[in-house]
Amino acid sequence: MPEIPVIQEREDVIARMMDDLQRALKKPPSERRWGMVIDLTKCTGCDSCTVACKSEHKTPPGVNYNVVIKEEIGTYPNVRDVFLPRPCMQCENPPCVDVCPVSATYKNEEGIVVIDYDVCIGCRYCITACPYGARSFDFGEWYTIDTPEVAPYETAPTFEYSEERVREDGKSPIGNVRKCNFCIERLHEGLLPACITTCVGRARYFGDLNDPDSLVSELLRQKHAFRLKEELGTEPKVYYLT
Amino acid sequence: MDKTQEKAPLQTKVTRRDFVKTSAIVGGTLAVTSQVNWAFRKVARIASSEKKTEYPLNKPENIIYSVCLQCHTSCTIKGKVLDGVMVKIDGNPYSPMNMLPHLSYDTPLEEAAKYDGKLCPKGQAGVNTEYDPYRITKVLKRAGKRGENKWQVIPFDQAINEIVNGGTFADGTKTPGLKEIWAVRDPDLMAALKTDAMAVASGEMSLDDFKKKHAAHLDLLIDPDHPDLGPKNNQFVFQAGRIEHGRKEFAKRWLKDAFGSVNWYEHTTICEQSHHIATIQVTNQYKGNGKWGGGKEHLKPDFANAEMVIFFGTGAFEANFGPTPMSELVTWSLSDRNMKMAVVDPRLSKTAGKATWWLPVKPGTDAALALAMGRWILEHERYDAQYLANANKAAALADDETSWSNATWLVKVENGKPTRLLRPAEAGLDDIDGFVVSKNGQLIAVDPNDAKTPVEGDLFVTGSVNGIQYKSALQLYKEATMEHSMEEWSEICGIPVKTIAEVMLEYTSHGKKVGVDMYRGAVQHTNGYYNGQAILMLNVLVGNAGWTGGYGGGGGHWHEDGSKAGPFNLKKMHPGKIGSFGVPLTREKWHYEKSTLFKRDGYPAKRPWFPYTGNVYQEIIPSAAAGYPYPIKALFLHKGTPAFSPPGPNPSLAAIADPNVIPLVIADDIVIGETSMYADYLFPDTAIWERWGTPHTTPAIQAKTSKMRQPVIEPLPDKVTIFGEQQPISMEAVMLAIAEKMGLPGYGKDGFGKGLDFNTRQDYFLKMAANLAFGDKKDGSEAVPEADDKELAIFRAARAHFSAALFDEKRWKKALGNDETLWRRVVYLLNRGGRFEDFSKAYNGKKLGHPYSGLFNIFVDNVAAGKHSGTGEHFSGLPRFEPIKDASGKVVEQSPEKYPFQLFTYKEIYGGQSRTISDYWDQLNVAKENYILMNKADADRLGIKDGDLAKLVSPTNPKGEWVLPNNENIPVAGKVKVIQGIRPGTVAVSWHWGHWGYGAKDFVVDHRKVKGDARRAAGLCPNAVMLDDPFLKNATLSDPIGGSASFLDTRVNVVKL
Repeated sequence: MPEIPVIQEREDVIARMMDDLQRALKKPPSERRWGMVIDLTKCTGCDSCTVACKSEHKTPPGVNYNVVIKEEIGTYPNVRDVFLPRPCMQCENPPCVDVCPVSATYKNEEGIVVIDYDVCIGCRYCITACPYGARSFDFGEWYTIDTPEVAPYETAPTFEYSEERVREDGKSPIGNVRKCNFCIERLHEGLLPACITTCVGRARYFGDLNDPDSLVSELLRQKHAFRLKEELGTEPKVYYLT
Repeated sequence: MDKTQEKAPLQTKVTRRDFVKTSAIVGGTLAVTSQVNWAFRKVARIASSEKKTEYPLNKPENIIYSVCLQCHTSCTIKGKVLDGVMVKIDGNPYSPMNMLPHLSYDTPLEEAAKYDGKLCPKGQAGVNTEYDPYRITKVLKRAGKRGENKWQVIPFDQAINEIVNGGTFADGTKTPGLKEIWAVRDPDLMAALKTDAMAVASGEMSLDDFKKKHAAHLDLLIDPDHPDLGPKNNQFVFQAGRIEHGRKEFAKRWLKDAFGSVNWYEHTTICEQSHHIATIQVTNQYKGNGKWGGGKEHLKPDFANAEMVIFFGTGAFEANFGPTPMSELVTWSLSDRNMKMAVVDPRLSKTAGKATWWLPVKPGTDAALALAMGRWILEHERYDAQYLANANKAAALADDETSWSNATWLVKVENGKPTRLLRPAEAGLDDIDGFVVSKNGQLIAVDPNDAKTPVEGDLFVTGSVNGIQYKSALQLYKEATMEHSMEEWSEICGIPVKTIAEVMLEYTSHGKKVGVDMYRGAVQHTNGYYNGQAILMLNVLVGNAGWTGGYGGGGGHWHEDGSKAGPFNLKKMHPGKIGSFGVPLTREKWHYEKSTLFKRDGYPAKRPWFPYTGNVYQEIIPSAAAGYPYPIKALFLHKGTPAFSPPGPNPSLAAIADPNVIPLVIADDIVIGETSMYADYLFPDTAIWERWGTPHTTPAIQAKTSKMRQPVIEPLPDKVTIFGEQQPISMEAVMLAIAEKMGLPGYGKDGFGKGLDFNTRQDYFLKMAANLAFGDKKDGSEAVPEADDKELAIFRAARAHFSAALFDEKRWKKALGNDETLWRRVVYLLNRGGRFEDFSKAYNGKKLGHPYSGLFNIFVDNVAAGKHSGTGEHFSGLPRFEPIKDASGKVVEQSPEKYPFQLFTYKEIYGGQSRTISDYWDQLNVAKENYILMNKADADRLGIKDGDLAKLVSPTNPKGEWVLPNNENIPVAGKVKVIQGIRPGTVAVSWHWGHWGYGAKDFVVDHRKVKGDARRAAGLCPNAVMLDDPFLKNATLSDPIGGSASFLDTRVNVVKL
């Protein structure tokens, strides 16, 4: 029996993962393998991750890099809730990459599937190819366009892919396909993805899967994990604990 | 400086708006706005993709820590600011609300900047609320009828002048000026009138004598025949919604102490007040001379160490107090520590969905369930007998306990009914000011607070002395639980006996490492107080208070009002304070029998009196409409929405729309809300992230915590000049300007005393910050460190986007009496958004770091002393199960045939009642509307399918509609969602939708139409169908003890459309 942990001796999970992150950043990029672990027993279905992602990337209506799929199972009074947060799976074998006619989307050396907005032509083949529904198209919609004023948060600069962009008509990322990129701009600053830090149930974990001492590696050793649509051979780097 | 010049155009473009311009840009193009907003960005964008842009949001100069208020949990936050715009909100890593454990308080700012703490989604969506396109920035005056939603923009000074001296409106109506209502202006006269009016009420002075003595001043009273109603000043009423500490004290000083009206209210009875009142009464301490006081209003289990917890009518992942701090404590405990959990809730809440046991109770029968649980514990002898035997503090200390109970104290029983606690003199014992226990057949006097001589008593006692029958409190509680068999209790509450037994076996298998939590669901009933009392007993029986893993009041806070030790004792720093007296409009904290109206009317009182509770929100406007106990002349609405948020508000809508009922209505609000649209004058308020405050901390947090709200960004409302100083329009500005115009005492030059002016809100709140920074020890040994030069530089840099009207270092220092040391301590505190005790102090071995210390009342003598104003019968000192009753004490019958469903409400985590519909990232992103939740079995029977449109109708709202005077009525209708996770026979509707104000519909400003946003009108708000009290007719039912409004007692029919 593992020992029951005591709060008085607990290290904050964020602090632990920040340390893991600093360690990984010291390695050459090609030796890192970023992965996410989501403990479904701790997910409260609050969508804190969904909103943190929106807030970080100022994504417009119709574009959510992360969603939480909610399902009720059972029959009264034996009913349970299941909440399944779904970011991009950052597949080892990403089906979205092969179909891109202009190579705008590719797996970078750290294993993150990225999109080069300046190359993307918005053909949306990748949306169809993704088995997880993780990609969406930026149609150029705005939350506050039909209100008395377009809110400044909609036009605030974002730093996705470490590029400062102000979203405006006729310019990327409008007209591009968009998706979760593990907050790559934050990673390179030594910060964890926004969905990780904000999770109020502390259900989401992030780190270097190549580092046996990282919290994510530890969790995958200790607990039962699964990946979505394992049978497709996409090899997601997002793991779920049950 | 160049910087300010460079800033000016940006601020103008980004943050200033007026509705004239606004109306003109409706339908305009985005391209214009977007280019303008960010054209002045300091960090030039780097075109080359080779050179990446620096990420700015982890730099301390772009961060200001403050406090959220999207719900009342008021979590500590980290506001990230880019060019004066708050672009993201995260949790504050210095605070125990956002990290587990939190960063050490001395962590350098640069280091903390890298840590983003956790925060719930609506807290993060605060960005959307702040920059709501429907925010108002200028003063609006009604240009049509009340509620017609036609406005004209007027200058601030004009509005203040008309409010003070009287105004005239386009429709010919005239409003009275506050100067007519400000009757008694002399503190000595106020005190003299008060003393004698109270003497008349108690019968010590005749009315004739009073009239003779005060003949010259009778015209200043509301009713000279009932002087206890107080002066005419009381006809000015302040009604706040979610107001918090800091602003509370600011507003009370103004209304109660300077204007002289007793009628200051906040919203708690429409939230969960009866839970507070039950807790206060059960934890009240004996103060001597028959007086009780000092009760705690909120206790919680120590979720991080508990081995089993039970939630009644609440949970850890939505609402409550609140999801940000509580979720991780509970998910971690469930998953990693194998904590067990039971959730009592007719709906499968997100917490119930993770519980070991879901107990889908019949709404309003929580006391029946809790008494059944108590019965099981007693019958199976699973209580802590040693703990319960302790009758005073000394006995508790001898057992290493910090708390004790009155389980063994004897209660007099007359005609089979428990009445009051037996006193030593009555039992022929030494006449000490205390109570009596029986030990081995011998009666012993006990002083509950005696820390030297332990007294223990027998638990189950029945006997008599001097012809007085008595029983011990625990014996009486046992009899209360035995009133019904387990099967009967089970039948009432709808939870199988087997489940109750299973849950109780688990609950009593972990010693003191268990706890029961409750909130809104259990108490927003007419029987709410008794439900709460019954639930609290489950904690008392196992003696869990004060223990790690047990039950307590959390870490507490330092005292911002300076009442303990701080340099500024704000309550005392009020030269010329007038004071106030009289029966409050809501007849609260007042025994009916101690009023002259009782002598006139007897029982039943025309409207209920509430001797044990305050802030009876749902009774304010209906009482004014009924003119009982007196009519009012002016109403100041702050943040709340009393025509929308209480149950059954249609009569309140009619009242507030009628200038004959409430001649003057002033409101301050960040938008034109459902109720503020009925105002005569509507002032823009500063939003949460633009203002100051000192909200207190949830007892879920074990480390001592004082949060400091401070402006993160420049307020959007216009600036005005008051007392010669520029300041944003806000609640505070309105109060200061009225104070200036009328000459209210304690404002302006030397307002706090010689050399300390009270001209701006900072003059007040910086003193609160200073008190917190100084700490609660008189010798100053608790003061926070002084900011060094580097920290001071960061402090300034982080505020470089503020105008001089908001941040002027010299001026801020002046508010602190130009004390450089104090200033640097304040900077240190503001740089961290408050002060937070180290996590190592949260626990002290087996005890909580800040354990609850004191008495628990199993028999609540204080409440047993009072009477129901409808029946004249005494309230019960013991918990009991009661059916739903009206104000006259009569049981309310609702036909189960015509109205087959019991309606209840709940909160989604994305919503905070009426103020999150502007959150496009959250509420309007994760949901598009809300639903009438119905069990599939019920839906199948009625032939209702998922997604069908339906309307709710009830006995007092058979049409099922919101009746909006001078505007369009709205049906209480929405889509049905068919689910399994709800008790059959009930329907539930969440509480964040169904808006008609708040930008949901078109309105007119200066003859131009401003288009509403249809997304904001989605869904339904069920409040309109909730029962009117059959006795009162114009208001909802209320809990006569706790004051809670009856949200969860209405039966409805679901009519397919």
